[in-house]
Amino acid sequence: MTLLQERMPTATPQRRRGGLARGQALAAGGFLLPNLVLISVFLLLPLVLAFVISFEKLGSLGPGEYLGINNYADLLKDRVFWETLRNTGVFTLFSIPIAMAAGLGIAVLLNSVLPGRTLYRSIIFLPLVISGISTGVLGAWMFDQYNGFVNKFLATLGISGPSWQANGTWAMASVIIVTVWQRVGFDMLIYLAGLQGVSSEVQEAATVDGASAWQRFRHVVFPLLGPSTFFLLVMNMIYSFQVFDTVWAMTRGGPDYATTTVSTYAYRTSFDEHGPQQLGYGAAVGVVIYLITLAITAAQWRFSSTRDQTD
Amino acid sequence: MALTRRGFLGGAVGAAALVGLGACSSKHSDGTSSDAAGSAPASSGGASTAAGSKASSGPVTGKLTFAFWGGSVGETAGFTYAKKKFEEANPGATVQLKAVPYDGFFSGIDRGIQAGNAPDIFRVDYTTIGKYSAKGVLLDLTPYVSAAESDAFLPALWEAVKFDGKPYGVPHQTDTTCIVYNKAAFASAGITAVPDKLSDAWTWEEFSDVATKLRSSLPDNKFPFAYDWTQAGAYRWLSWLYQAGGTLLTPDLKGTALPSAEATKAMDFTKSFFDNKWVPKTNTIKTSVYSDNFFLNQTVPMTFIGDFLVPELADAKSGYKGGDWGATYMPQSTAAASDLGGNAIVALKDTKNPDLAAAFLKFLVTEDCMKYFCEQAIELPTLKSLSSESLQYVSRPDVVAVCAQQAATISDTVVKESTVPAFASINTLLQDQLELAFHNQSSEATLKNIASGVTKALAG
Repeated sequence: MTLLQERMPTATPQRRRGGLARGQALAAGGFLLPNLVLISVFLLLPLVLAFVISFEKLGSLGPGEYLGINNYADLLKDRVFWETLRNTGVFTLFSIPIAMAAGLGIAVLLNSVLPGRTLYRSIIFLPLVISGISTGVLGAWMFDQYNGFVNKFLATLGISGPSWQANGTWAMASVIIVTVWQRVGFDMLIYLAGLQGVSSEVQEAATVDGASAWQRFRHVVFPLLGPSTFFLLVMNMIYSFQVFDTVWAMTRGGPDYATTTVSTYAYRTSFDEHGPQQLGYGAAVGVVIYLITLAITAAQWRFSSTRDQTD
Repeated sequence: MALTRRGFLGGAVGAAALVGLGACSSKHSDGTSSDAAGSAPASSGGASTAAGSKASSGPVTGKLTFAFWGGSVGETAGFTYAKKKFEEANPGATVQLKAVPYDGFFSGIDRGIQAGNAPDIFRVDYTTIGKYSAKGVLLDLTPYVSAAESDAFLPALWEAVKFDGKPYGVPHQTDTTCIVYNKAAFASAGITAVPDKLSDAWTWEEFSDVATKLRSSLPDNKFPFAYDWTQAGAYRWLSWLYQAGGTLLTPDLKGTALPSAEATKAMDFTKSFFDNKWVPKTNTIKTSVYSDNFFLNQTVPMTFIGDFLVPELADAKSGYKGGDWGATYMPQSTAAASDLGGNAIVALKDTKNPDLAAAFLKFLVTEDCMKYFCEQAIELPTLKSLSSESLQYVSRPDVVAVCAQQAATISDTVVKESTVPAFASINTLLQDQLELAFHNQSSEATLKNIASGVTKALAG
């Protein structure tokens, strides 16, 4: 009995720990379950279905017909698809660096002691709160080449404004400008969070070592913002390959196909009632967008040396 | 105001359209294919021996949903009036109105049909109805419509709702394109006379002269006119083709009539609108600025519009602020032509209460309901009796009178070609190819691409 009593205290906590672990696991599972169900139903299942549909000839009405890889083979021969890929690349190449650089610059400014900085932060973040369609409609009004604010403003300066809507290059430029305007608030916010995590002691040490303000930013602050930069690169890249609403509202992909991105192409092919409504072909475009996004993210993960860097 | 297109639509269209539509063939969603080539055209009351057998089935009960795109205040008022009157006439019957934005309307209907929860009744334009009737998802109204009832419609519009000789909806209203213009701008350009009779409509040469005069009187950032071919309106380019004496399809509707000398003439002429700076550079297909927007913001003093836009222009608060404006007819060349606008109302084949659905469809096109709807929405009726009656349009009846006369130029060819099942795909093709043509793709390449695309679309 004594022996048993001596053993009890050791045995009981073990059982309690086990019970506690199981309890914790159950609790964790309980919390996770709703999210897992939602992810499965609204993310994974549609993803799998999109893969399945991409192998079918499927219209908006009637049953599908299995095509094998024909949709993908057609994609390779589709001149418009390659043009949309190129457009998306141009859009990405110009919009991300500009938005991130502007976001970083504004974040550095608004991270310092500045009267009314909360108000400025809110103003810069505001476009992100507005829906993309609304932003696009605003953009279409602003960049209307005959009656828009931009060209009327340029006219007051004696400058003849460009053909924002009739010329493909300028149309893409207008879309990029509006996108940068919309996205810069998000980039600023993430960089602001990153900047507030940079230790002042490190910067003071650099100052003591004789580093100038630019040197402190270039060699101390910016490297420490590595995780923020990595996060923004990935998020902006994903956004770029999914950009739809702003482009659709501003240009409908025109003129010609000059601003048609892979997402607007997928939408027009699949869901636009005035489009061909080829759901299978559109799904194949969607799968390609998914794979490209996945590849870019994996490459950035693999090659970004500062993704996990902290102070 | 008398609507005077009855003579044309009432007489010229029927027989040829019957033969034409009867010759349509299409694959069905179940894999079978129908080919009515050579089959006898249906009577106006429908092909079935049971035509009209349920034409007067008495009061009906039950619930149904009716989806339509929320166009204007007048349209909503018209549908609400019909619902109220129908429910009063049929105690126990309830109609739930669902006003949905136009963007995404048909996508939503298609998803609903696939999922089995589509509305019992929905609105559909004549250029899209063929897609649904060919897929076998619409209620065949043959048993519900008597010969007398079908004869009450303008023949062209009745033909527009038929597929394989059977009616799959009721023609609810129609509209077409006409020209509106600013009177002061015309006077400034020295244009002193505007056609006030359909027979006097400008020839292409006269229209070119008007555009040239306007061009020389306007600054560089203003343009003589805009055309209503933006986005889904691309098919309205076909009016130029028909005016040139051409057609899109062969008479049996099985192949394309392109390329042709007439089509080249039409394509060259419309491309010249841009070369001559007669239209804004942005008055192409893929743009967010429609022809009425150009007129409203006074970028152009003249524009081609559908008559359903008259209330928007005439609105005291947000309408046209450029001064007095009038209306005239589309230009003509070898022939006069305009587009088949307007909408039918259809019911689903799988509706739980087909008798109720059919009853409501028929109620919507009673004289009283149609008259009220058209007067409120500034649209044109499809009943012969109303087409010769004075309707009290709530705004600018003088403009509607022009549109009504213009509607007489919706020929049997326009109706036949605009309602083939593949027309929705053809319209998409036109959007893409005209966009390219208006940005320097040659007429030859454009017509060749349209021809091959149409052939592919017709093959399904």
